[in-house]
Amino acid sequence: MEKLAFLEVEHLTKVYEDGTKALEDVSFKVERGEFVVIIGLSGSGKSTLLRCINRLVEPTSGKIYLDGVEVTALAPDELRRLRRQIGMIFQQFNLVKRASVLTNVLSGRLGYVPSIWSLVNYWPREEVQRAFLNLERVGIADKAYTRADQLSGGQQQRVGIARALMQEPKLILADEPVSALDPATSHSVLKYIEDLNREGITVLCSLHFLSLARRYGRRIIALKAGRIVFDGHPEEIDDRRFREIYGEEAVEVEIR
Amino acid sequence: MRNQTVTPKAIPHIHPGRRSLIRSWQFLMLLLAILLIYGYGWRVTQINMGELFTKAHLIRPLLSSLVRPDLLTRDQEVQVARAPFLTGEGELPTLPPSTEGTSLNLSRTRGRIGDRLVVRGQGFRPNTEGVLWWENQIGQRLPMRRFKTDEQGRFTLEIAVPQTPGVEHVVIAEVSWPVGPLKPSETLKIVTERMIETVFLALMGTTIAVVVAVPLSFLGARNLMARNPVGFTIYLITRTVFNIARSIEPLIMATVFAVWVGIGPFAGVLALGVHSIAALGKLYSEQIESIDPGPIEAVMATGATPLQVVRYAVIPQIVPQFIAFTIYRWDINVRMSTVIGFVGGGGIGFILMQYINLLQWRQAATAVWAITLVVALMDYASAVIREKVI
Ligand SMILES: Nc1ncnc2c1ncn2[C@@H]1O[C@H](COP(=O)(O)OP(=O)(O)OP(=O)(O)O)[C@@H](O)[C@H]1O
Ligand SMILES: [Mg+2]
Repeated sequence: MEKLAFLEVEHLTKVYEDGTKALEDVSFKVERGEFVVIIGLSGSGKSTLLRCINRLVEPTSGKIYLDGVEVTALAPDELRRLRRQIGMIFQQFNLVKRASVLTNVLSGRLGYVPSIWSLVNYWPREEVQRAFLNLERVGIADKAYTRADQLSGGQQQRVGIARALMQEPKLILADEPVSALDPATSHSVLKYIEDLNREGITVLCSLHFLSLARRYGRRIIALKAGRIVFDGHPEEIDDRRFREIYGEEAVEVEIR
Repeated sequence: MRNQTVTPKAIPHIHPGRRSLIRSWQFLMLLLAILLIYGYGWRVTQINMGELFTKAHLIRPLLSSLVRPDLLTRDQEVQVARAPFLTGEGELPTLPPSTEGTSLNLSRTRGRIGDRLVVRGQGFRPNTEGVLWWENQIGQRLPMRRFKTDEQGRFTLEIAVPQTPGVEHVVIAEVSWPVGPLKPSETLKIVTERMIETVFLALMGTTIAVVVAVPLSFLGARNLMARNPVGFTIYLITRTVFNIARSIEPLIMATVFAVWVGIGPFAGVLALGVHSIAALGKLYSEQIESIDPGPIEAVMATGATPLQVVRYAVIPQIVPQFIAFTIYRWDINVRMSTVIGFVGGGGIGFILMQYINLLQWRQAATAVWAITLVVALMDYASAVIREKVI
């Protein structure tokens, strides 16, 4: 039997209850430590693909293996244990707005701590220390006790990254992490994600702008109407390929 | 000049003149309908502004009592003297003894209705006010005169035998004066007691409602329940029950419960409770429906258990609003509990109604002031709490 890659997606198909075909026969492999950028038009299935990998969305058919484990075959308990190893970063940050930054970051650790203590928001010392370390990494340790909704968008996304880091993840799924941010902030957030990748965390990141994808991705997977239409190096995307992915009328814009 | 319409295609077939004709015809119909509705309304509700002035004397006792509610009182020292009178054949009855030292003499002890007689009293406290009563055979008392004793503690009055049933009568002189310090009046005690009952009525009704409505509201939240047919059915039933129960006014519920469990505060608690369960349940459900699914997804993605997801992603999003709704409901229930007694639901409303029916205006005024004061206080308190919590 041949050795499995770190992440393998095989013939993945997702049809939503209303009949929308969001993914159709998607297959690809990702090796440990890769930084893969997923691009595609709005509605092409990027979010659906990323959510299938940690089964926030149940795949309709197909198989997903992560580090030798068949994700698609896991029972609820095993699935929760697997999810601990997959950090997720969202376009809208998805912080609990009324809670403090610290509580938001600590919530990334929920999969590891005993349920009873966490239900009264009691956290062991070492977990609080870990939270502060991760907040320092993204440069906002001084905001630990601020309410999450009082931070700027860029700061909120950095809280999102710190929360994912609490999981000590092997894989990070980032779903358009910078689409709600201005260009300068986008770069600073993507640089944090790039740093994590350098430390060995595999990253799957969907991006809206090709210019950002070119700058950060070492491999690009392009989706169109739920199918993979390109999988390769950023330099391979020429004018013809670009129009294939984004449609005839699209013009590439630069984000610096 | 040319008529330059910008959107001639929008109304291609109707000539402008015809259109305005139809418009004005419709307008006339509308006007006529409105006139009819309000004309009828004026009649059925028997609006008669003049009565506000012609019947002003009826409200005067209540209004003037408002400035002197029955709050404080002093003990009364009383002297009573009695004398018998017959309007027919028979023996003069023996009466309970008069207060020591006092006596009452009638110029005659027998006579007929309308006869005049002179009443002399002596041995009373000097320079003190008193009342002369006529008590008939069945114990009914008619006030005859007010009087004041002279320096020697005597008084003389001339009265006519009143028209009242029975043969044996008693003439009673009562002289009374306040002694000792001021103290809360009986009315004040009753009103305070009932006001406490009223506040607790609101408290129990609201608390019961919260305890029941919180779990039910999850069943009435579409985003949680409408994932499968069974859940959707439960959601529909819950919401329907909420809507029906909410549309029945607590006063009507109290009438029903007063028949069921008897007149008293328990009926009021049930009425407020049931209505508030529905009202709060609907508000809570809508709050749960409006929560942002993002944080739920994010916490789920960390590998949290369902309970942890509720604790970290759901509760923080609903608790502040739940508290706000509850305080709002509490305010309403405090108001409601003050009138629910009118229909047998206990609390201050019950005695307020009694006072009004017995024309005890000063007592009624006391109750009205108590209601005003407590409602204002509770409003203030909940405003402070709201400020702190939200
Ligand atoms: N919960 C859902 N139920 C039904 N259809 C859905 C659902 N979520 C997504 N879809 C549909 O699936 C398709 C793919 O959506 P998806 O969100 O994965 O695209 P995307 O590439 O992430 O788009 P965007 O760039 O706008 O985020 C779209 O047609 C979308 O309308
Ligand atoms: Mg998306």
